Amino acid sequence: MTSVRSALDGLPGQVAPIAGAPEADATVAPASIEDVETILDTASEHHLRTLVWGGGTHQGYGGRLDPVVVLSTAGLDRIVDFQPEDLTVTVEAGVRVADLEKHLAEHGLTAALPEKPGEATVGGVVAAGISGWRRARYGPTRERLLEVILVTGDGRRVRGGGRVVKNVTGFDIPRLATGSFGSLGVIAQVCLKLWPLPSAQGTVTVADGDRALAAAYRPQAVVECDGSTKVFLGGTPEEVEGQAAAIGSPVTEGWDWPGELDGDVRWSLRVPPSKLRTAINEVRADYAYQAALGVGEVVISGPDGDVDALRKWAESVGGALVLIAGPPELYARIDPWGTPPAALSLQKRIVQRFDPVRILNPGRLPGGI
Amino acid sequence: MTLTAELRDLLGHDRVLTEPLERWVYGIDSGVVRGDAQLVAFPETTAEVASIVRLARHYRMPIVARGAGTGLAGGAIPTQPGLVVVLTKMNSVEIDLENATAWVGPGVINLDLSKQTDPLGYHFAPDPSSQSACTIGGNIANNSGGPHCLAEGSTVGHVLALEMVTADGDVLVLGGPAPDPLGLDLRGVVVGSEGTLGIITKALVRLTPNPPDVRTLLTAFSRVEDAAATVSGIIARGVVPAALEMMDQRMTEAVERFVSAGFPTDAAAVLLAEVVGLSAAVDAEAAIIEEVARENNATTLRVAADEAERAKLWLGRKSAFGAVAQAAPDYYLHDTVVPRTKLVETMTRVYEIADRHGIMMLNVFHAGDGNLHPLMAFDSAEEGMLARVKAAARELVEVCVEVGGSLSGEHGIGIEKRELMKLVFNEADLDAQARVRESFDPDAVFNPDKVLPAGSRCFDLGRPPLEGMWV
Repeated sequence: MTSVRSALDGLPGQVAPIAGAPEADATVAPASIEDVETILDTASEHHLRTLVWGGGTHQGYGGRLDPVVVLSTAGLDRIVDFQPEDLTVTVEAGVRVADLEKHLAEHGLTAALPEKPGEATVGGVVAAGISGWRRARYGPTRERLLEVILVTGDGRRVRGGGRVVKNVTGFDIPRLATGSFGSLGVIAQVCLKLWPLPSAQGTVTVADGDRALAAAYRPQAVVECDGSTKVFLGGTPEEVEGQAAAIGSPVTEGWDWPGELDGDVRWSLRVPPSKLRTAINEVRADYAYQAALGVGEVVISGPDGDVDALRKWAESVGGALVLIAGPPELYARIDPWGTPPAALSLQKRIVQRFDPVRILNPGRLPGGI
Repeated sequence: MTLTAELRDLLGHDRVLTEPLERWVYGIDSGVVRGDAQLVAFPETTAEVASIVRLARHYRMPIVARGAGTGLAGGAIPTQPGLVVVLTKMNSVEIDLENATAWVGPGVINLDLSKQTDPLGYHFAPDPSSQSACTIGGNIANNSGGPHCLAEGSTVGHVLALEMVTADGDVLVLGGPAPDPLGLDLRGVVVGSEGTLGIITKALVRLTPNPPDVRTLLTAFSRVEDAAATVSGIIARGVVPAALEMMDQRMTEAVERFVSAGFPTDAAAVLLAEVVGLSAAVDAEAAIIEEVARENNATTLRVAADEAERAKLWLGRKSAFGAVAQAAPDYYLHDTVVPRTKLVETMTRVYEIADRHGIMMLNVFHAGDGNLHPLMAFDSAEEGMLARVKAAARELVEVCVEVGGSLSGEHGIGIEKRELMKLVFNEADLDAQARVRESFDPDAVFNPDKVLPAGSRCFDLGRPPLEGMWV
């Protein structure tokens, strides 16, 4: 058995530390899936805690980690297979969402990933199970993940699903990977189902978002930000005009999606859609918020205060209050997830079978898994 | 005590079947393989299911959960002498209109749910052809599709949470009513697992608002290529119809003899397209479809004038399999998926296979998502025919995989395609799936010998778990 130091020195794809990432003994950016396999095999052999890093935009989710190795997906940046007519695209994990959507838009298509992704990568969005505003129309990201290549904690390359838009061949590894926060393996490559980008796009400002949501018949999204509500419409020009007429408000051309909330402390409040109005009312007045109507998520930002009552209420209606950004002291004081899910031992058994030495993002999932 | 006696203590005499004829009935589903049902139990509550699981484990009897038995891949039959747990009596429906969801028992019949929610303005979107008979529990087990999953997605997108009895006889709730429940998406893995991970006793399903308006178009073409080009053309114009269904000439003829749906029998391919939404939107989309069909030399182009005509067109489509029963005493219905752009190439090769084996083949399929349903009609009394049908079926799957497709789009793997899994997955892929199965059900109590080929779990791969870790 080689020493830890020489094992670290032997890892392929060594790069300089990444700004914003926690301090580690080695930072690697493998250029191929084979290199990811090699790195994780070595990391498992030497029990090296490994933090997976995409664009760094969703690192605020879950338990904090003191890594020995930071594994960046920046070197996995290829669009592997784009089939516009089949409405599928296969990309490596490190491809940036913004770059992918720009490329797809040139062909009149979209992956319906987050609209203001910043530096986020496709792999990061999938690993964190993040969806854009348009999930109101196209469903969450997990419903559009057709195929995944995962390199497990002990360096096995596993492929699940397939590059067809409808498939029930075997257990659904793609869905298991979505939102797994790197705990099963490094998501190295994914195939996504695409949608045509609507030929007409419009926005309507309304006073009553709930009424507009019902009247417009499946708009792209209805978003309420600090008391102001916008309905995002898309389709043929006739559809957009029809939807605006049904709402009864004038439409302005184009979509102006809200950007990420400012503030160092941010939470995702998740409730059944019917509880969204109550949820907004439960949030303290000195918090900023963005609410996805019809979906049931409110992202809030405000002072680092006491959220116990809000979390208790959210959990009592079947939801959750999840910390998504904050200073280290806050993570030390409060469980970022809240009450873990009921099936915790089952979750552990699965994680153990994919990452037997538990080196990948340990402690990040709910329940300290 | 025996298992029979204990089950009768638990459920009463009438809800445990043991007579040979009864066992024979529950020894088969709509597939072609017969299993060995030793006992058949009909629970009515989750607590009863949990007790049944504990009892069956005590007596080391494998458990196979079952709904209406409409599955075509043999997913609901016991391959080993086993206990069949029929869930059709668990058919409660609790609608939550505010959230457009419903908690339903696994025994609720798919179409019954939509009929119940229709007056409230909602429906359950997955609509398999068997929807008047199949249960929601079965839909969840197989992640069923249907014509309208082109725009709406398969069953998994319509299931928010599951109540499930585990191999230990515990009751777990996976998922929840709020978006993005915490932790791994176990709900997403259980859907489509064909009864191998647990017994679903209740499901929280999403209801879809009924569209304010709908247009259904019938188009026909003298060449299959033109029909396929129309499908691609529609989607390239940015329209994803609610459904895009295609039938070949032989199927159209069979349907017309059976129900007179008004399909032109002289066309090489009939394409049924449906768009839903606000009136202005569906008119615009229907106009685009008409334009694309015309550009591709459509020989027939008709918009259903009213609900009656629309219903007739859909009756024709959904009667396809019944219609074939008139053509030959037996049929073998297949289900594979290919990338949509490979449709024409695949069909040409599929016909060649059938011709070479001297088998009559008819085709009806979900053209929008490349989901083929080649149907072989035959007489099993004919000597050697069954072997020919099986050989042709295997070749057909190989062709689909070769062009980048997959084994099944909506029927599942069951026992039928279990060995074929090796065509699309390698050793490490199958091992990973077996690890998922093992995490839920380490002793393979639930529906053994299904989905994964024997020996999928490969203990040579990867590293052993770290000692002292959790479990």
